[in-house]
Amino acid sequence: MKKVTLLFAMFFVCVGMTFAQKTVTGTVADNEGIPIIGANVLVKGTVTGTITDIDGNFSLEVPSDAQMLVVSYTGFGTQEVDISGVSNVNVVLADGVVLSEAVVTALGIKRDEKALGYAVQEVNAEDITRSGATNPVDALVGKSSGIQVTRSSGSVGGGSRILIRGVTSMVGDNQPLIVIDGVRTNNDTNLSQGSTSGTSASNRLMDLNPEDIESVNILKGAAATALYGTAGATGVVLITTKKGATGGDSFDINFSSSVGFDQITQMIDLQDTYAQGSGGAYRGPYTGASGSWGPLVSELEYSTDPNHPDAPVATGSRIAFNPDGSYAWDKNGFLVPKGTGNGQAANVYNNVDDFFQTGVSLNNSLAISGGGETATFRLSLSDLRASGVVPNESYDRKTVKLASTLTPTDKFSMGGSVNYTRADNVRVQQGSNTSGLLLGMLRTPVSFDNANGFSAADAVDEVSSYQFANFNQRNYRGGGGYDNPYWVINNALGYDNVDRVFGNVKADYRFSDWIGFGINLGYDMASDRRKQDFEIGSRTNASGAILIDEFATKILDNNFNITGNGYLNDDINLSYLLGANTFSYKYNQSNVDGFGLTFPGFLDISNATSLTSFSNAFNYNTLGFFGQVEAGWRSMAYLTLSARQDYDSRLGDPTNFDLSKTGFFYPSASLALVFSEMMNNTGPLSFGKLRMSWAQVGSGPPNPYSTASVFVSPSIGDGWGDNIGFPISGVSGFDQSSLLGNNELTPELSTTIELGADLRFLRDRLGLDVTVYKTNTKDAILNASLAPSTGYNNVWLNSGEMTSRGIELTLNANPVQTSKFNWNTQVNFTKSESIVDKLAPGIERLFLAGFSTAGTYLVEGNQYGAIFGGAYLRQEAGTDTDTSLNIPGGPVVINDDPDSAEYGFEATDPTQRAIGNPNPDFIIGWNNTFSFGNFSANFLLDWREGGDLWNGTAWALSFFGRSQLTADTRVETPTPIEGVLSDGSPNNIPVVRDQSYWQSSLGGFGFVGEQFVQDGGWVRLREVGLSYRIPSVEWMKGGSIGVSGRNLWLKTDYDGIDPETSLTGTGNGQGFDYFNMPATKSVIVKLSLNF
Amino acid sequence: MLSFLLIMTITSCENFIGGNINEDPNHPIKVPINVHLPAITISIVDSYGGLFSRFCNMLVQQVEGVARGCYAFNTYLGMEPKSFDPAWNNHYEKILNEIRLARETAQNDGLNHYAAILDITEAFALMIATDVWDEIPYSQAFDALTFPNPKFDSQEEIYAIIYERTESGILGLQNAPGDAIPSSDDLIYRGDSSLWIKAAHAIRSRAYLHHNNYTQALMEAEASFESNLENFAFQYPDESNASPWYRFNRDRTGDIEFHPTMRSIMVSLQDTSRLKEYDQLFNTNNSYLVADFKQELISYREMQFVIAECAFKLGEINKAHEAYLSGIKASFERIDANGYDQYITLASVDPGEENLTLDHILTQKYLALFLQPEVYNDYRRTHIPNLIPVTGSIIPVRWDYAQKEYDFNSNLVEGSVDIYTDKVAWNR
Repeated sequence: MKKVTLLFAMFFVCVGMTFAQKTVTGTVADNEGIPIIGANVLVKGTVTGTITDIDGNFSLEVPSDAQMLVVSYTGFGTQEVDISGVSNVNVVLADGVVLSEAVVTALGIKRDEKALGYAVQEVNAEDITRSGATNPVDALVGKSSGIQVTRSSGSVGGGSRILIRGVTSMVGDNQPLIVIDGVRTNNDTNLSQGSTSGTSASNRLMDLNPEDIESVNILKGAAATALYGTAGATGVVLITTKKGATGGDSFDINFSSSVGFDQITQMIDLQDTYAQGSGGAYRGPYTGASGSWGPLVSELEYSTDPNHPDAPVATGSRIAFNPDGSYAWDKNGFLVPKGTGNGQAANVYNNVDDFFQTGVSLNNSLAISGGGETATFRLSLSDLRASGVVPNESYDRKTVKLASTLTPTDKFSMGGSVNYTRADNVRVQQGSNTSGLLLGMLRTPVSFDNANGFSAADAVDEVSSYQFANFNQRNYRGGGGYDNPYWVINNALGYDNVDRVFGNVKADYRFSDWIGFGINLGYDMASDRRKQDFEIGSRTNASGAILIDEFATKILDNNFNITGNGYLNDDINLSYLLGANTFSYKYNQSNVDGFGLTFPGFLDISNATSLTSFSNAFNYNTLGFFGQVEAGWRSMAYLTLSARQDYDSRLGDPTNFDLSKTGFFYPSASLALVFSEMMNNTGPLSFGKLRMSWAQVGSGPPNPYSTASVFVSPSIGDGWGDNIGFPISGVSGFDQSSLLGNNELTPELSTTIELGADLRFLRDRLGLDVTVYKTNTKDAILNASLAPSTGYNNVWLNSGEMTSRGIELTLNANPVQTSKFNWNTQVNFTKSESIVDKLAPGIERLFLAGFSTAGTYLVEGNQYGAIFGGAYLRQEAGTDTDTSLNIPGGPVVINDDPDSAEYGFEATDPTQRAIGNPNPDFIIGWNNTFSFGNFSANFLLDWREGGDLWNGTAWALSFFGRSQLTADTRVETPTPIEGVLSDGSPNNIPVVRDQSYWQSSLGGFGFVGEQFVQDGGWVRLREVGLSYRIPSVEWMKGGSIGVSGRNLWLKTDYDGIDPETSLTGTGNGQGFDYFNMPATKSVIVKLSLNF
Repeated sequence: MLSFLLIMTITSCENFIGGNINEDPNHPIKVPINVHLPAITISIVDSYGGLFSRFCNMLVQQVEGVARGCYAFNTYLGMEPKSFDPAWNNHYEKILNEIRLARETAQNDGLNHYAAILDITEAFALMIATDVWDEIPYSQAFDALTFPNPKFDSQEEIYAIIYERTESGILGLQNAPGDAIPSSDDLIYRGDSSLWIKAAHAIRSRAYLHHNNYTQALMEAEASFESNLENFAFQYPDESNASPWYRFNRDRTGDIEFHPTMRSIMVSLQDTSRLKEYDQLFNTNNSYLVADFKQELISYREMQFVIAECAFKLGEINKAHEAYLSGIKASFERIDANGYDQYITLASVDPGEENLTLDHILTQKYLALFLQPEVYNDYRRTHIPNLIPVTGSIIPVRWDYAQKEYDFNSNLVEGSVDIYTDKVAWNR
């Protein structure tokens, strides 16, 4: 809190100052004398500025030593105006200058935007920092069309997944390539303990301080990313970091400080009326009963009388009374029917809402930058300390970045940057494991108090809330079942410590317009050391465990290129690029797991009595040669041709290497037609361009080591009992893995056609950009099943085919632009789908992630990652219309076998079906910024339509009778379920969906997953903010103070936590919620000052 | 100069993309034969003493599946293709394909004794497979990229390979061993080539017997084991690497129990001391099915009964009777049961040379080979002892193929096998 006070103090000091400054006024007009409305007027090298009013006039307070104004307006050339010693200037912006909005394209090449035959979208620094997100990936939500961002977990430090144009690869990583300052950068998410359990994990781009980002360019299609080859097939996020300013002597200090407050957004609707028990009878913790199928809590009261007929009796190892005779599980006494106890009504305990706290994050950053004519530097430091909404969870990040450039002559320049990041996380177990925080928490009946009478805040540090003196756990199932949440956050924490160094060194030498050399060497090293503790008594590892993982990743990315451009004649402009790239990726996971701790309280590997270990490497190299030629004709038509030859070590056979088998070639072409240049009178149209492109991209196998069979130490058995393993009788044994190496693999090939239009009206105040595309992937390398008689079970095979298509739309508008008030609005619309056309021979579906009841699969004829699981029986099942993969037509069939325990319930289909599609129908981001004087405001509405989630939490909680749904249905009047009987007549069997229903095939842990597939779409207020621009003063170049909110409002039909969640993290299997950590909403107050 | 640069570039490309970059540092792509052979041995012993024993000996009513999947199997309804997935998969993935790979290593390195042991092991593996599955893939197996759908070879073709492999095995063991000699890595005979030769003869004896070639079967049996000590068997070491029956009884307690049919046969023969060993609850306290069980593939006593049967068929009654008694005796010795002398005084057990029948020989073989899958072959050949099907009117005459083979081998048509009527070739 001290820090916050300081922050506010600084703010008031700033505002309260009086400053020495002068006023400059003037007008801005075009060369025909027509005033320009809304032109930007800025004091050079600062953020102090204004815009012209409806008459082209402006008035600006500037520091008395200010020398230059920079005046700019879209569609006109930018002008610098000397104001030293003057107070009134008239500026004429040159019209007719070609629109020269340069955009950063592949390999960091700046190209005239109008020349591009493909879609590129830029997100600027302000949009990033204004978001308040600490993860650069989260900051991109809604800022560009064609992207989809999903935060995986509400755990502080949890990673996010980003997709550009949906999925591209069938089983490989679908997240885009991240390129920072021209070199490839690690955005891996490393999982330690399986994809459906363990802790959340960070994506490595979180190691980048968002304050260091100058701009982000999203390269969407294959034509845009052609120069990146294979790695760019999934799209590219090009990040340019801030550098010191050149020109004139400048020295700037930027300090910013923010404090954020996080709370969970929403929680599944839980019942708070029924007590622990079964069949309406109360069964206390000492019975180990798992469900909340007992009586109404309101019909129970406490008793402490050991002679009461309902006094608990210890069962098995579960105690009922403490040695002193008091009831062990509740300080108020045990529960008995109302009227038979001491008259004190039974409590309804809130084990959920009270548990979560307000997470606080403090973020301070300092950047010092400067530059002269020939050299620049920028040093930035940042420190983020965040505590989670879950007590004891935390995420701390420290970054240091130094970037410098040197341009001793016009011909030569060099530069480099180095970034060091240290990230420290403390995480809590989540998801599908008996130590998962929400798993135990949400299952706890309202008649049991996890905090044992303490307030939630006190229970966190109060051992007696979750543990008895003999170290047995105090939880609602008498010590069995699941860990008490308070036990988990003290005794089953995961720690990870990341050290990351990345950066680049580059040099350019230009002999002439026609020949220049460039080299850019990138390096990225990350070390992620993890330790997961399970204290003795854990329900996951009863004898305790220490799990240690160390991930080391090293990336080297070297680029060399020769570029040139010039005019062949008055009409034709030509530019070319020839390049080479070497890329090396090395990853190693070292694991040591220790089990069977000797004594409690010492959570170190040396306390373990048995150890297992493994090492897991993943290394590959690629080499690429590429070329590109762009020809422009009269600023009207631009043709770009490119080609690339790649060599990928993953295609190499280590037993019989042949370089030619690792190589593959693919071309691309794009055309831009600026048709507005061809028209004499364009009317309101200020700019019009059509784009078209065709591109191919080849890819190697998703994993290395697929080309040769390897040996493993086998586990031997037949699945009816535990297997045995070597050494046996003192000898070691190895046999070949059941995965056949395939030295005949060839690259996957995808072909994309893209068409687009960029239309701008009314001097660019209104802009519409439309793109449609279609990508066909063939020969996708998939894990295929083999007949056992081949001697193997699986092989990586060129076999898959997939078609992706989509529409992207960006609408930019500047509806109001006056000297007092300016409103910019942008709508980004994204619709994409990828249909799995073909899998390996004999395979109709391929597992990606999830559970046996419901998992995500590639399913033929379905969208990527379909949720596949148990379904109700439909009338048309087994008929000609039944694809055997999708839910058949017709009404649900009701089980009308009077002998069945499920008589009157929905009948179950013995075949699993595609029961959900986790891909959204469309995504819309509506981004608005308003400025009025020194104030500015913004909001971003994020609308994701559709996209199913399998609500595994609701599924499990229905079994336990904990969801509100089960409280409602257990007392409903007997009603026939909608459906037909086996003879086709309407169902007329009335049933009550009580415990017997929710614990049948239709309920939790039952065969049917269909009824828990829910629409995971949403509309949310992703960002909202208000900020005030602090004018510059003599000793300070201005600054800003603002308050912003993230996720403050959410509307969804999903009955669970915030549907922006993914049990399996940032991987390909999306659409699962199984006791996931709930997402958060945040309010952030931020102060930024420039000196 | 330019060509020099070009060569330099190409060489460095080769090193950057090739070299050992794509070789998994955590898993070898070659292993020495002395770690490969143990994996093969354990896989075959574990499968034979595991699924083969449970399924075959349930069918001949030595044991009874009483719960869960084993109950379904016991009624034959559970003999659906997916029940055979583990046995079929182990056989191809962990046994036959591994033998092929290991033998390649042995042959390339001139390791004659290893190659011979692998030949003999393969003959055994092929025989136990074709005896339950009849036609099986072999000539097109183990070459997935060329033959993703291997064709099925006839049982005659498979048996030809069995004879060929045992013959080459015997010859190989008579040659110099080469640079490496099997020792402790040979978990069955510790490199003793004379015992491997005897095992090869035992395999051949079985093969001839299946085809009612009594002369050859007799000759081969006589060239095989001379005592229980020479049994083709693996001694499981301990609880941590326990025998398949022990693991099954530990992890699936109550699924399988001793069969009333076998009990009643033994009771009627007053076979009390052996019955006491066999007729126990199938759990970890079973004093016969222990963790350190010695799992036999072929035993001395089995060979004695082969001699008895063949000699009987060939009219050498004296030899038949002698082998018959020594087979019973070896069975008592195998389980440390007392009372052999007492037992053979019963006329129902030893009716004397002249009254000895095939019924006596095969009933005693049935009792002596408790939990040996070979009993299922004997039953199908001779229908001794007389068994009443658990359901229906026929005890299945073969196993179905594995579901995974149906799913992924287009040469196998779903529903093409009738386990009640499609007899294996030697049984037609």
